[in-house]
Amino acid sequence: MNALHEQFVAEARELIHEATNDLIAVEREGASAVRIDRILRAFHTLKGSAGVVELPAMASTLHAAEDLLAAIHGGRLRITSEMIDQALTCLDQVSGWVNAFEKHHPVPPGAGDEARLMVAQLRDFLPDSPSDTRNLEDPRSPSDEGALPEWVSHLLDDARADISRYLQGRARDIVAISYEPRPACFFDGDDPLALMRVLPNLLAFQAEAREPVAPLSDFDPYACNLRLQAIAGGSRADVSAIFRLVPDQVRIADIPGEALRAWMQRDKDDDAIKLVRAILEEQKRVLAASPEGDDRAARRGAVVRTAVNALRHHGRRDLAAAIDGAMTSGFAEVAPLISAIDAALASLATVVAIGDAEVEGADRNAEAMANGPPPTRLLRVDERRIDVLLNLASDLVVAKNSYALLASRIENELGSHTLARAVKREHEVIERLSVEIHAAILQLRMVPVGQVLRSFPRLVRDMSQRLQKKIEFVTRGEATELDKTIADRLFEPLLHMLRNALDHGIEGPAERLAAGKAETATITVAASRVGNRFVLEVADDGRGIDPEVVRRKAIERGLLPTDDLQKMPEDQLINLIFAAGLSTAPEVSDISGRGVGMNVVRTTIDQIGGRVSLSSTIGTGTIVRLDLPSSIAITRIMVVETAGQIFGIPMDAVMETVRVPADRISRIKGNDGFVLRDHVVPICSLAELMDLPRSEPRLSDVRLLVLIEFGGRIVGVEVEAIRDRLDVVLKPLQGLLAEAPGYAGTTLLGDGKVLLVLNIKEILQ
Amino acid sequence: MSVCQRDDGTIFLEGDCHVEDAQALLRLVEAAPTSSLDWTRCTYLHTAVLQVILAVQPTRIGPCGDGWIQRWVASR
Repeated sequence: MNALHEQFVAEARELIHEATNDLIAVEREGASAVRIDRILRAFHTLKGSAGVVELPAMASTLHAAEDLLAAIHGGRLRITSEMIDQALTCLDQVSGWVNAFEKHHPVPPGAGDEARLMVAQLRDFLPDSPSDTRNLEDPRSPSDEGALPEWVSHLLDDARADISRYLQGRARDIVAISYEPRPACFFDGDDPLALMRVLPNLLAFQAEAREPVAPLSDFDPYACNLRLQAIAGGSRADVSAIFRLVPDQVRIADIPGEALRAWMQRDKDDDAIKLVRAILEEQKRVLAASPEGDDRAARRGAVVRTAVNALRHHGRRDLAAAIDGAMTSGFAEVAPLISAIDAALASLATVVAIGDAEVEGADRNAEAMANGPPPTRLLRVDERRIDVLLNLASDLVVAKNSYALLASRIENELGSHTLARAVKREHEVIERLSVEIHAAILQLRMVPVGQVLRSFPRLVRDMSQRLQKKIEFVTRGEATELDKTIADRLFEPLLHMLRNALDHGIEGPAERLAAGKAETATITVAASRVGNRFVLEVADDGRGIDPEVVRRKAIERGLLPTDDLQKMPEDQLINLIFAAGLSTAPEVSDISGRGVGMNVVRTTIDQIGGRVSLSSTIGTGTIVRLDLPSSIAITRIMVVETAGQIFGIPMDAVMETVRVPADRISRIKGNDGFVLRDHVVPICSLAELMDLPRSEPRLSDVRLLVLIEFGGRIVGVEVEAIRDRLDVVLKPLQGLLAEAPGYAGTTLLGDGKVLLVLNIKEILQ
Repeated sequence: MSVCQRDDGTIFLEGDCHVEDAQALLRLVEAAPTSSLDWTRCTYLHTAVLQVILAVQPTRIGPCGDGWIQRWVASR
């Protein structure tokens, strides 16, 4: 797959998600112009990209959907839930094609038929000809007669000859178009000029940069920075139809006959003012040329008559009267006459100047708006490249540890304190830098959890419709970030949790009303950061989990010895629903009830080093809480020793470490165990678990145990010694060992030795 | 390839110039900012390519082979 195809797949998925969410929001909260606009744009962009990667079936389907949305956008149709369903089905279809395209493009052979069927279904909603887009006119453009916007007059001035040729004295429709394509439009497959090219009777065209052009080195050829303006002969409806897919980027202004006449008139006015000014200037020159002389009275008389006539002809009787007045004030003086003419010139000029000032002001406003904060530009980087970088940075973190060893060797073997100190100082500098680099690269891997959550509104909607339950789905903290690897693993457990909540947790509307609850139930998914942990809670306000039902089911299944189950406190009992094969659902449905889902949740969360817990109140609801590391790349481990070997155990798994005198340990059912705070804790030897030779403990020994919380119970893992606690970079096992169970990965120690880090919960299983 | 450069440095646009040619054209102009542009054999000019030409304003050789561009952009 080339870069263009990859970009298409990524963007198409993004757009499908956006449109899906907006469609669901419209269904839930009603249609708003902004939402419909966004949906229309998403469909349009999808269609454009489908054209670029040559997927005609997809393009034609989206085109039909777009026509439907355009009709809704234009107010010709009211959106119904059937239309939303159809649009969502269309997105499902498109999503399927995108997946197929990613795997083995081009799309499968049946696509054409599927597309035709979908197109027919979409067109069924349209009452009349789908190409009728008369209602898509831009509401912002001035349709009032008379005043023409400045940009329109400017274009008109440019096309004077062509316009008069086109009009030939007849009244014909003329429209002005100002099209500012979105900067990213090229990525949507748009070619803005192509729209201009199909304008009927083009009379004027100009293309200019919207914002100052960047120097060549910074010039982005794929960011559209153009403003395309045109005058065309034709009706507004015809032109609107051409721009129907970019209604937010185009201004279309009618130039009604009257305005056109006014413009021509204004044009004539401009010429007339120029003429009057020229006449007045000339009269001033005449007066200045011969201030003295016999004929000066006659000359002044002629000057005044000429000026007054010119001003009267131009309709400025006020100015004419002022000059006439200056004349009568005395023939002897030239100065009053000259100042009267200057005043008239200034007055003529003021009108122009005010006009200019207004235009400039408007331009400045437009400029200020255009110069808003530049949009954030994103760079798509292949995840693998970041992982390579991360591995290098991890190696650097480990490599710098050798400086500490080097410093102690210099001190011990050479006896040079000064040099050893210098090496230590350098070590500190490199340590700080390498840790910073590592942290910065980890930051690259962080993604907002919203990426995982965004497909759930749709899933919840579909499931709730199938179950005929009313659900309000709320997400919070979508911006909370976590490592991409963890985020990717979250989808499945979340899906099971939501299915459970919907199917078992939430009661039907009648049952809810009978229980005095709101008919519509609420499911909340809330993400937050607690320290360096990422916490995700799924809460529902359903019927809650009855611990007695769990107890009964667990006994039926023989999950634990009946005695243990009888004594087990309620909060522990309800956590048993994470055990394999235990479902509290009375019957198996297509959504859940097989007792698999919650077990998958626990297994997955265990694998990524997290914990899952559940609290529930009968009649009020259930909260499932996932507590996860927000980044898996650095893990805190405890280094333990057994049978002469060292292993790492992730601190996430460790509850505490205890030393237990041998006399407190008793043998229960063939296993060692001891009582800790009223609970029996079974003991396993790590050496035994790892199939290593184990020295028999002597009775006098104090035994060292690492307590691990596992499946709602506590297990003591016996080790011979506990060494350091380290922050390490875990590398997954490679090659033949990749599938070996029981290992979380490996890490390098400062002395270059490889340490195996155990997945202790998996081993205990 | 619709964008190429002759030995004397003149940049040629040939045939239909699509969106991806904008980058190629920009690269050539960046390397040799004083190059002339011969667009007589260009039959279609994409907006992105026109944008580069408008920004760079190279010396243009001959009428544009894309009639619409010649009529509405080049001759103005």
